[in-house]
Amino acid sequence: MRWRRLKAIAVKEVLQTWRDPRSLMIALLLPFTQMFLFGYGVNLDLQHLPICTFDREGSQLSQDLLKHFQASLYFAIVHNVKAYPEIVAAIDRADCRVGIVIPPDFSERLNDSGTASVQAILDGTDDNTANIAFGYAASVVSGFSNDVQLSWLDRQGRTLQQVQPMTVQSRVWFNEDLVSRNFIIPGLVAVIMALVGAQLTSLTVAREWERGTMELLVSTPVQSSEVMFGKLIPYLMLGWLDAAFCLVIAVLWFEVPFRGTLLTLFLTTTLFLAVVLSIGYLLSVVIRSQVGASQIALVVTLLPTTLLSGYVFPIDQMPSFIQDVTYVIYSRYYVTIIKAIFLKGAGISELLMPILFLVVYAVAVVALAARAFRKRLD
Amino acid sequence: MSGSETADAQIVVDNLVKRFGSFVAVDHVSFRVGHGEIMGFLGPNGAGKSTIIRTLCGLLRPSAGRVWVAGIDVARDPERVREHIGYMSQKFSLYRDLSVEENLRFFGGIYRVPRAELPERMRFAIDMAGLGGREKTLVATLAGGWQQRLALGCAVLHRPPILFLDEPTSGVEPTSRRRFWDLIHTLAADGVTVLVSTHYMDEAEYCDRAALINQGRLIAIGSPEELKHTALGGELLLLECEALGPTLAALRQAPGVIDSSVFGNAIHVLVDNAERSLRELPAYLEQRSLRPSRLQRIDPSLEDVFVRLIAADMVKRSEAA
Amino acid sequence: MFARIRPIVIKEFLELKRDKGARFLLVVPPIIQMLLFGYAASYEVYHVSTSVLDLDHSQESRELISRFTSSSRFDVVKVAQSQYEIDETIDTSAAAVALVVHAGFAELLRKGQAAPLQVIVDGTNSNTALIALGYVNTIAAGFAQDYLTDLTRRVQGAQGMRQVQVTLEQRPWFNPDLNGRWFFVPGVMGTLTLVMIVNLTAFAVVREREVGTLEQIMVSPIRPAEFILGKTVPFFLIGLGEVALVVAVGLLWFRVPFVGNPFVLLLGTALFLLSTLALGLLISTVCSTQQQAFATNFFVLNPFFILSGFSFPIASMPQVLQWFTYLNPLRYYLIVIRGTFLKGVGVNVLWPEFLAMAIIAAVLLTLSILRFRKSLE
Repeated sequence: MRWRRLKAIAVKEVLQTWRDPRSLMIALLLPFTQMFLFGYGVNLDLQHLPICTFDREGSQLSQDLLKHFQASLYFAIVHNVKAYPEIVAAIDRADCRVGIVIPPDFSERLNDSGTASVQAILDGTDDNTANIAFGYAASVVSGFSNDVQLSWLDRQGRTLQQVQPMTVQSRVWFNEDLVSRNFIIPGLVAVIMALVGAQLTSLTVAREWERGTMELLVSTPVQSSEVMFGKLIPYLMLGWLDAAFCLVIAVLWFEVPFRGTLLTLFLTTTLFLAVVLSIGYLLSVVIRSQVGASQIALVVTLLPTTLLSGYVFPIDQMPSFIQDVTYVIYSRYYVTIIKAIFLKGAGISELLMPILFLVVYAVAVVALAARAFRKRLD
Repeated sequence: MSGSETADAQIVVDNLVKRFGSFVAVDHVSFRVGHGEIMGFLGPNGAGKSTIIRTLCGLLRPSAGRVWVAGIDVARDPERVREHIGYMSQKFSLYRDLSVEENLRFFGGIYRVPRAELPERMRFAIDMAGLGGREKTLVATLAGGWQQRLALGCAVLHRPPILFLDEPTSGVEPTSRRRFWDLIHTLAADGVTVLVSTHYMDEAEYCDRAALINQGRLIAIGSPEELKHTALGGELLLLECEALGPTLAALRQAPGVIDSSVFGNAIHVLVDNAERSLRELPAYLEQRSLRPSRLQRIDPSLEDVFVRLIAADMVKRSEAA
Repeated sequence: MFARIRPIVIKEFLELKRDKGARFLLVVPPIIQMLLFGYAASYEVYHVSTSVLDLDHSQESRELISRFTSSSRFDVVKVAQSQYEIDETIDTSAAAVALVVHAGFAELLRKGQAAPLQVIVDGTNSNTALIALGYVNTIAAGFAQDYLTDLTRRVQGAQGMRQVQVTLEQRPWFNPDLNGRWFFVPGVMGTLTLVMIVNLTAFAVVREREVGTLEQIMVSPIRPAEFILGKTVPFFLIGLGEVALVVAVGLLWFRVPFVGNPFVLLLGTALFLLSTLALGLLISTVCSTQQQAFATNFFVLNPFFILSGFSFPIASMPQVLQWFTYLNPLRYYLIVIRGTFLKGVGVNVLWPEFLAMAIIAAVLLTLSILRFRKSLE
C-alpha cells in the first residue's frame, strides 16, 4: 500500500463530499434532526398516567380512595365523570388510560361483608401501559386498603401501632431521575452513527461506477485496499465530527449525564464507525447502483439498529430466539457500550466483551469489502 | 510466443477471444503494435473495439488467447501492466466536481509522479489542453473539447510508454478533434505507442496503421495507403447525376461493376478496371436514358474502403450462417 | 380521458413486474417488519434479573422474598451474601433489580414499625426500571396487605377484616388478555404503508424525470391530471395489496382479533392511501434525481413516523410536537386501525379521523397537482 495513492484518493473524497450538498445534508443535518426529534418526541416515562374517575358513591371513603390515586406519582386524574358512558368515551378517545369506577355501595359492602372492590377499566389496545397501569392501581388500592384496615381497628380501640407494615425504600442507580431520555439519547447516538455512516459510504463506490470514473481508476496501479481506506478515512473523520456533535447536544442541551471518559468514547466510537462505514462500503462495491446501495444500506442499518440493538426495546425481554439473533446485530454492542459509558462511567476494562465482538465484526466486514472489490469489469 | 519474440512490439494480441455469456464480443483477433506507432481501431458501434481495449488494460479477462502489453502477459499480471499504461475511457472519466488542478493532482498522486516533477508535468498537461488560467474551474463547467484534452493530460502525467484511448473524439466538434489528433501525433513523436479507437472513419488517415473491426472480428489491418490500394479489391469511380435511384439500379446490372453506393449526393462505383468502365459505362447508361453529369476516377478514401469491407463482411457472414 | 390513463397504468404495472428489486421490497420487508415488531418490540417486563440479600433470615423475610422468586416478573439470578455482592450485581449488569432485607425486619414488623425493603434499580433503561419498580411495589403492597389481614384476623377474628381490592374490568372489545403483540401490529400496518407508498410514488415519477421519459410523455396530448391519475392508480392498488398482506399476517400468524367492520377499515385505508400518494407526488415535484428523492423521502418520513403515536405515546410529547401530529395522516390512520381491529368501532366514532385524513389528502393532492404543473414548465 502506498501512502501517496491513498492520500490522493482521500483528498479527492473530501473535496467531493464537501461539494455534494446531499452528502453534507446527511452528515450534518440528519444527526441534528434525529437528536431533536427523538429527544423530544420520545418519552417513555410512565408516570402521571392520565386517569378518569367515576365515583358512584361520593362518600367520604370513596373520596379518600381517590385522594390516594391523586397522591400517587404514577397517576394524574384528568376527569371526574358523572356517567358511565362518559368514562368509556374518555378511554375510547384516549383522553385517559385507566378508568376507576367506585361502585355506589362501596362503603356499605365494606362495612357489611368486609370486602369491597373497585373497577379499573383499561384501554386494552395499548396493553403495554395497561398491564403496568393495572399494577400501579393495585398498589395504590393496597395502600388504601391497609389504611382502611388500620383506621377501622383504630376506631374499635385496637390500635395496632402500625402506620404501614412495610415500606419500600428504593434507590435508582445510573439514571437517578428515571428519565427515559437519558437512556434513549445515548442509544440514539448509535442509531445516528449507523445510519449516517452507512448512507455516506454506500454511495461512494457506486457513484464512481455510475459516472465512469471508477473504470479509469481501476485501470491505474491503485490497489483495492488503497481505494477502500482512501475512501473511508474522510468519512471516518466526518463520523467523529458527528459523534462530537451528538455528544454536545446530548450533554449540553438534553443534560444527559456523561460519566465516562472521552477517550473511551472516542475509541469505541471509532471501532463502531469502522464497522458501519465498511458495511456501507461493502454494499457500494457489491451493488453498483447508488440508489440500490443506499436503499439496502438503510434497511440493513436502520431496522436492526432501532429494533434489535437494545436501544429502546430491552433485549432481555425479547423471546429467546430473537435474543440469539441480536448477537449478530453489530449495533447491539455499541448501544451497550455507549449507555454504559454515559450512565455508568464504564471504561475499556468493563467493556471488553462488547468491544471484542465489535473488533471481530470490523475485521470480518473490512476483509469482505476488500475482497469484494474487483479491479475488473467482468 | 515467447517473451523475446514480443520484445519489439509494445502490444501483442494473439487470437484473442472474449465472450459474455453466449455472446462473442471479440472473435479471434490478432495484431501487433510497434514502438511509437499510432494504431487506429475503427468500426461501427458495438464492433468490439472497447472490449479489446479494456482487455488490453486488464479490465476484462480474455476468454481465450493471449495478450501482451509492454512485454507483460496481461492476464497473468494485470497490476504490473497498469504501471506502464495510460487509459482514457469513453466517458473521459474526469471528476466533474473537481477542478482542473485537483483532477491533475489526483492522478499525479495515483500514478505517484515524483513530487519534484509533478508541477512541471501538470503545467505540461494544462498547456497541452490549453487550459492555462482556468486551473481552478470545475470540470463540469468545461466544454467537451477541453475535457477531452484534460483527460488526455491526466492520462500522460506519469509518462506512460503506451496509451489506450477509447473513442476520445466522440461527441466532440471537428476543430477540437483535429487539435486532439495533433496532440496524439506529438506524443507519438516522443515515442509513445498509442492505440486509439474511433467510429469516425476519416480519422483513420491520421494513424500509422488502422485496424477495421466488425462484430468482433478483425477484417482488415494496414497503413492507410495499403488499405486504400489493396483492400478495396477494385478501382473507384465518382458519378454525379440527376436520377440517383434509377442510376444506382442500372449500375448494379452493369458489366465490370463490383458494387456501387451513394456517397453524399453522388455515387461511388467500384469497378474491376477503371479505364474500361470509363469508356463503357456512359454508353451503357445512355441506353437506359441516364446521363451522368460527371464520371471520373477518384482515389478511394478510407471511408470507401471500410464501408465496402464491412458490407462484404456482412455478406460473408450471412452466407456462412 | 380514461383511454389515455389506461396505457400509463399498464406501463406502470409492467415496469413493476419486471423490477425484481421492487417486487422483493414490496413483500419481504413488510413480513420481516411484522415479525420483528410482533416479537421484538415490547415494553412489557418479565423475568427481570434480580439479586436478593436476606440478612434477617426470619420467616417473614423468607416469605417476602419467596413472593418475588415465584413471580414471573422477576428472575432471581443470585442470592447474595453481602451488600458488596449486591452492589456488584447491579454494577456489572448481572441484575437489574436488587432486593435487600436488613437484619431486624421481622422484629420491626411485629413491633408495628415500618419495616423497610430496600430496592436498588438499574436505571439505565428507565422504562423497564420504572415498570419493575412498579411491580416491586405491587408485590410488596400485596405482602403488606396480607400481613395486615393476617394480623387483624388473629387479633380480631374474621369480622374485623376490612379489605379493599381492585378488579380488572373485562371489556370484550378491548384486548382481554392484554397481549403485547397486538398493540404493534396495527401500527406496523400504518407505518409500512406510509413509507412504501410514498417511496414508490416519489421514485416512479422522479425516475421518469431523470431518464427523460417524462418530457416525452408531456409532449403527448395527455394532461397533467391524467398523468398523475395514471401513475397513482397502480400504487393505490398496490397500497391496498400491502395492507391486505399485513392484515393477513396479523390475523393468521399473530391471531390479532378483528372485531370491527372491514369496510370501515377499507374506507380509512383508502383515505390514508390518498394522503400518502399525494405526499409522494409532492416530494417528486421537488426532486430531479432518484438520489434526491431518496434523501428527501427519508427526511420527510422520519418525523411522520416518530410523531404518530406508533411506538411513542403522543401524550408524552411536548405540546409543540403534539400539534404537529394533528397534521400527520398516520396519526389518524393508526386510531382507525386500532379502533376497527380491537375496539370494533364504526364511522360514528371515527368520523373525525376520516374527516381529518380527507382534508389532508385533498390539500396535499391539490398542492402536488399545482406544483407538478409548474414543474413541467
